[in-house]
Amino acid sequence: MPSGLNLPAVDVNAVFGKSLVHKAVHVERFFLVTWVMSQVALFATLWVYSRRGARFARESAAGPIGTGMLLGMLGLGIVWLVELPFRLLDVWWARRYGLTEAGYLDWALGHWFELGGAFVSLCVALLVVMFLARRLGEIWWIPGAAAFVAIGAAFAFAQPYLVSETTPLKDPRLRRAAAAFERKQGVSGIPVSVEDVSGTTSQANAYAVGIGPSRKVVLWSTMIDGTFSDAEVRVVLAHEIGHHSSNHIPKGLAWFALFALPGAWVLMRATRGRGGMGEAAAVPLALLVVAALQLALSPAQAWISRRMEAEADWKALQTTRDPAAARGLFVGFGKTSLGDPDPPAWAHVLLDNHPTLAQRVAMAEAWRERYARPKPGVR
Amino acid sequence: MDDEHPRLPLRLVVTDDLERSRVTVFFRLLLAIPHIILVCLWGVAAVAVSVIVWLALLFEGNAPRSLQAFVVSYLRYSVQVSAYIYLAAGPYPAFGGGDGYPIDLEIDPSPRQSRGRVAARLVLAVPALTLTAVVGGGSWFGNASWVASRSSDSGYSTGFTVGGIAATAAFLAWFASVARGRTPRGLRDLIAYGIGYTAQATGYLLLVTDRYPTTDPARVLPDASLPRHPVRLDLSDRCERSRLTVFFRLLLAIPHLLWLALWSVLTLLAVFVAWLVALVTGWVPSALHRFIAAYVRYETHVLAFLFIVGGPFPGFVGAAGSYPVDLAIDPPARQHRAVTFFRAWLALPALILTGPFTVALWVVGVLGWWAALFTGRMPEGLRNLGAVSLRYIGQANAYLFLLTDTYPYSAPAVRDRMRDEQLELPLDAPPGIEPA
Repeated sequence: MPSGLNLPAVDVNAVFGKSLVHKAVHVERFFLVTWVMSQVALFATLWVYSRRGARFARESAAGPIGTGMLLGMLGLGIVWLVELPFRLLDVWWARRYGLTEAGYLDWALGHWFELGGAFVSLCVALLVVMFLARRLGEIWWIPGAAAFVAIGAAFAFAQPYLVSETTPLKDPRLRRAAAAFERKQGVSGIPVSVEDVSGTTSQANAYAVGIGPSRKVVLWSTMIDGTFSDAEVRVVLAHEIGHHSSNHIPKGLAWFALFALPGAWVLMRATRGRGGMGEAAAVPLALLVVAALQLALSPAQAWISRRMEAEADWKALQTTRDPAAARGLFVGFGKTSLGDPDPPAWAHVLLDNHPTLAQRVAMAEAWRERYARPKPGVR
Repeated sequence: MDDEHPRLPLRLVVTDDLERSRVTVFFRLLLAIPHIILVCLWGVAAVAVSVIVWLALLFEGNAPRSLQAFVVSYLRYSVQVSAYIYLAAGPYPAFGGGDGYPIDLEIDPSPRQSRGRVAARLVLAVPALTLTAVVGGGSWFGNASWVASRSSDSGYSTGFTVGGIAATAAFLAWFASVARGRTPRGLRDLIAYGIGYTAQATGYLLLVTDRYPTTDPARVLPDASLPRHPVRLDLSDRCERSRLTVFFRLLLAIPHLLWLALWSVLTLLAVFVAWLVALVTGWVPSALHRFIAAYVRYETHVLAFLFIVGGPFPGFVGAAGSYPVDLAIDPPARQHRAVTFFRAWLALPALILTGPFTVALWVVGVLGWWAALFTGRMPEGLRNLGAVSLRYIGQANAYLFLLTDTYPYSAPAVRDRMRDEQLELPLDAPPGIEPA
């Protein structure tokens, strides 16, 4: 992305249509309200749990690490229960506006299994931290952070193999386009797969996963079901391949390493009063500290993510040289996801891991200004 | 009986001497056909009479004694016929039931019952009837499945699955009885337990009593006991449960189940090495014995936690004495080489019996989950049924994995006889010792 690129102002009402913008603002506002409420509930719960959670240690016949795992899982379970009404409200709202096709039972079961996965991840994390803390004392945070980065890298590598229910992209034109984009961006051997999300959601999405030989691009089936034109899907392919050609996943890991080290140090310091992370009694407090760190770092994380997404958008424009398709794609995203094209600043800073739809349209127009004539609706 | 555990209104009386005639055992099912027909007809009549009893209890608050006696007679007769079919008794029963049969039922009918519980009897009986299918004579579960052949022709397949601890035990007892002319005591006791529980549940459903059936083996079959075995259950659980850990029980067990799966791979390798060494030396090396024993103990801890038989979150190493539902495993002892060589084949009957015990654990887990979630306690009867299942599964695994060459013992008792004797004063106390 060229430095000092000035994005033109976009009249969202003209680009997305007044009624769509009004509807999107209305839909998005509800999600923001439930998010704020769930965050309040989350921190209130974790605060209480950090003070009283240690008493659940009497429900354990395991050693300190096993007991720590139990306390961690119970904390996560309680948070899940407390957040359940807000998530339920979100599902109700999403169903009301056709953003999801999942039934309440499917959704609840899905979340239940998701919670099981979260329990396992948490147990692995606590096993690493508590084992190191019991062996090394307070300097655990140095090898601990390194271990988390290593686990993160292993997960990033293995993730393409963990994504279930994908099939290779069949459309020969799109396959040829993907191969051409790879050549243009100087990469090769990135398979494109399709994940079947029909019956779950009507929203469209795609993502890039994997590192090195495991690199892969995955399109949701809703991306190629005819809602979007071939030209628009080509923009998506170029965007996702752009993530790989710009090494965004390894760079993301590097950023994670940068945050992990001070984060682990803060955790070590914060839990010192409870005997340190080697003691099970420190785990409830550790959950609160980690949640607070995540919230505190979310603007920085969102900013890094937005930068990468903007870079991939620019690469997609450079590769496809089709700003009209890019503009059509982003307007289409607005229709299928009902995302506010120009959300409140605080929400954008805190939550958005992509540029706003207005900014993405503006980037397409900025590219056009450099290489072609502007479109109506752009001042 | 103590105040905490008053006498059951439907009690099984076992005077069977285990002796069997091989010929009658061989033809047992065919010989029982006339009784089966009579029991079925009588059963239909008993259900019809119970509907009248139900209406009488509901509106009058009192059941006519003659009608209740009719149902009581049916219950006794069905118990005797079941005992005959399932090889828990030897003699051919009298038609209509008679006194003095080796497996009999003593019944104290309740002519007055709570109207609310009478009104909801059918619903209230559902958990008990579910358990009847598991521990009793078994149930015929219809199943259907799509079968796809290589020629891509799909067909609809239907079938039945036989379940039930008592039915499976009877199946095994048939072979043993034909071969030896005796039914093994453990299998007989297990069958009798199933019959006893089924009688309780049927009596509850047919309004003979309003006392809810208990699955506690110690109450259904108080005389059952275990011989000294190298693998024993240590039960120190107090039935209290944390509702929170009960609610998340399945998810909390996931790390343990993953760890157990990894450990089981190593254990299989260790068992193979132990098998080779034991074939040559007649002993399993101590290090391997310890490793395998820790695995078998850990599996017991994890299953106990998963199915609410135990309360606390278990440790990850299977340490002896670390869990309230634990297996005590004796140190390695000399094992017969021939028994070691054929171990997998010899273990087959025990492994067959672990099937219904595992089903019982699942049902205990599901019913116990609801009970513990609402009351904060695991019902003792359910807990003990789970403990018996775990003890048997543990003994079967220990036998298969070469920790012992003593065969698993199937009687539905939690504690072994030796320790019970240590806990109690003899009935005929020697002079100078007053019974407590």
